[in-house]
Amino acid sequence: MITVAGVDVGNNTTEVAIARIRGRGDVEFLSSAMVRTVGIKGTVRNAVGIIDAIDRALAPTGVARKDLHVVLLNEATPVIGDIAMETITETVITESAMIGHNPATPGGQGLEHGRTIAISALDGQTPSGGPFIVVVPGEVSFDDAARIVNAAHARGVPVVGAIVQKDDGVLINNRLERPMPIVDEVRHIDRVPLGMPAALEVAPPGRTIERLSNPYDIATLFGLDPEETRRSVPLARALMGTRSAVVIKTPAGDIEERRIPAGKIILLGHGGRRVEVPVDEGADKIMETVQSVYPLEEVQAEPGTNVGGMFEQVRQVMADLTEQPVTSVRVQDILAVDTFKPQQILGSLAGEYALGNAVGLAAMVSTQKLPMLRLARKLEEEIGVPVQVGGVEADMAIRGAMTTPGTRAPMAIVDVGGGSTDASVINEAMEIKSTHQAGAGDMCTLLINTELGLDDMELAEAVKKYPLAKVESLFHMRHENGSVQFFHEPLDPRLYGRIVVLSPEGWKPIATKELMGKIVSVRQGAKRKVFVRNALRALERVAPAQNVRLIHFVVLVGGSGLDFEIPKMISDALMDYGVVTGRANVRGSEGPRNAVATGLVLAYAQHHGG
Amino acid sequence: MQVTEDLVRQVILDVLGAMGADAKPANGVKPADGTPLNFRELGVAKTGTDRNEVVVGVPPAFGTAMTSTIIGIPHSDVLKEVFAGIEEEGLKPRLVRVVRSADVGAIAHDAATLSGSGIGIGMLCRGTSVIHQRDLQILQNLELFPQSPLVDRAVFRAIGRNAARYAKGEQPDPVPTRNDPMARPRYQGLAALLHNKETQHVKLGAPAVELAL
Repeated sequence: MITVAGVDVGNNTTEVAIARIRGRGDVEFLSSAMVRTVGIKGTVRNAVGIIDAIDRALAPTGVARKDLHVVLLNEATPVIGDIAMETITETVITESAMIGHNPATPGGQGLEHGRTIAISALDGQTPSGGPFIVVVPGEVSFDDAARIVNAAHARGVPVVGAIVQKDDGVLINNRLERPMPIVDEVRHIDRVPLGMPAALEVAPPGRTIERLSNPYDIATLFGLDPEETRRSVPLARALMGTRSAVVIKTPAGDIEERRIPAGKIILLGHGGRRVEVPVDEGADKIMETVQSVYPLEEVQAEPGTNVGGMFEQVRQVMADLTEQPVTSVRVQDILAVDTFKPQQILGSLAGEYALGNAVGLAAMVSTQKLPMLRLARKLEEEIGVPVQVGGVEADMAIRGAMTTPGTRAPMAIVDVGGGSTDASVINEAMEIKSTHQAGAGDMCTLLINTELGLDDMELAEAVKKYPLAKVESLFHMRHENGSVQFFHEPLDPRLYGRIVVLSPEGWKPIATKELMGKIVSVRQGAKRKVFVRNALRALERVAPAQNVRLIHFVVLVGGSGLDFEIPKMISDALMDYGVVTGRANVRGSEGPRNAVATGLVLAYAQHHGG
Repeated sequence: MQVTEDLVRQVILDVLGAMGADAKPANGVKPADGTPLNFRELGVAKTGTDRNEVVVGVPPAFGTAMTSTIIGIPHSDVLKEVFAGIEEEGLKPRLVRVVRSADVGAIAHDAATLSGSGIGIGMLCRGTSVIHQRDLQILQNLELFPQSPLVDRAVFRAIGRNAARYAKGEQPDPVPTRNDPMARPRYQGLAALLHNKETQHVKLGAPAVELAL
């Protein structure tokens, strides 16, 4: 009888299973443990985490570390994923031609047009000169501004609207005898051209502007010809969804949506096939091309572009890790996802943002098993127990997953990790086929971070993993599904009124103006774009005849199997194929964890016995 | 230089004398300007029922025995900015004088307790301010502006605005708090004196008074 330890070093966690083997195939599992992986998977730094995990697993069994017969290490497929974001459009205002933004509190409401005029010049105006839209710089206080406008109104000078630098819109409006629409918080008021025809619209609370976001209304107001109307389209688009807007017609003013040359991806297939696809054609086009060239030999990117830089970085990291020359590292899969990136409009007057189109790219590199052997030698030195590197990770995972009650071959597993999405399938003849796809958890985090403009990857990671709630008072919060939870003790005042992520390490407030529903939809969208799409892509590649219907059981393993919504999303997507989908329950007790470690022990027992 | 108790006493007396005599404090601080405010007292302040209000609490000496903040902003301007911040967000300010304490946390918490929205602002004569919520403990806060020399007109406006946003159930970005390491050596003595002066007007146990301008 011998005691063995199966060890699985993953990108994020290191898992251990301890088992007693009495004879060939006669295995009794004693305990398991899980710790965070130390260092990048496949490097000698992992040893620290492995020893920690083994000790934790051994603690309840009473077996000493030196009494272990052998430590079985997974032959980790050294897969590294890296991600990058490439913006492909930006909005540029070439001259101060528009202001469209969402000041929290504009004044008044309605649509007006007139010529822009400085408030200091209003005194000398006569009734025949107008209508005017008055421009109020920050030095003029709200009561002075209101007094000057009221005086002008009294003289019969038609002042119909105002553009204000400070957050004074409501204050001025409250002091006017005749209310008018006011757009405030226009930071660069000095750039507003004076004496030019302008139109100004403020929507009622809860609504967005309707006229200035319509090119034909702009054409009506300014008397534009068809060609000029065509040019006003990006402007109208940029104003869509805002609460207030100003459009100023300047002689040379223009606004355009510029496409940024983002570089090309070069896909190399078997037999010297070579296809180029420009990144700015969007994710769908890229993925279509990848599908048509599959299986890929290598993916390259145009040097000197952002994509080129990203691919260079992935290669460099992988080369350092495996001590191979950079030239021999090959990118073998990419996942492209369409996304949006809030970007400051260049040349804007009020610091407006527009959503630029962007493409998120995940790349994956696979290499030889060299680093694992080095790790095994290092581990052997440290603990004085023989260490074996055995079994391909995917094979081991499927062996472990097969211990889930209620499964049988043909069965597939899907393992969504941090850097890659892996799938393997086992047929009735116990033959295993597996694949690795670029794009997984890290990609999803990047999408959330970018689309919400969080600028905080840790927070984005938390948003990805845990549900949200809005703290409505110090004693209650409303969860994202609408249910209300009360508390006896007051909550931390820093959470008051905020949207929080209910992370188990502590609730974190999210600094954003977005509504909770928007954050939820961004999160779910990112998961669909990455996890669901990749799970299907992976299953198609391993399924018999590329037909997912021929797989009867699909089991989710790995950390993402524990996510609170991913299993449901994947399950929904696979419903159409008539496949039984669910989270693994390794050995009937471990849930989706420990599949590889369990598989390693089972494989060893089959070959060696006690 | 030998610092003795007598010397400290002498310095304090000098400063006090200078302030009392011709309102010209040491340290190169701008002399206090501002005229006393014309408050009308409307009786004991009652707890509001209007969800649309933010209560601003001031100490007994505010606008009466003292008329400007530590950096010389007249108390009339302080109220104007705070009220403007509240009004811009579409809410109504209500002013009370908290008589029982000269502690900014207590004043702010009393204001919050009287407020129909549960949100109150408390401030001291020298400018120190707090945004408070009635369910919090007195020593907690939603936002605290502890360094009175750094609370200028723009900050007063932002305090009013953020308090109103809390009252609306929005999630305002906290007003950026500045920190000036020289504020303490430069102003601490003056702040202590101002605090003493303010405390003399406290009547323990007295109820808060509703004010109108």
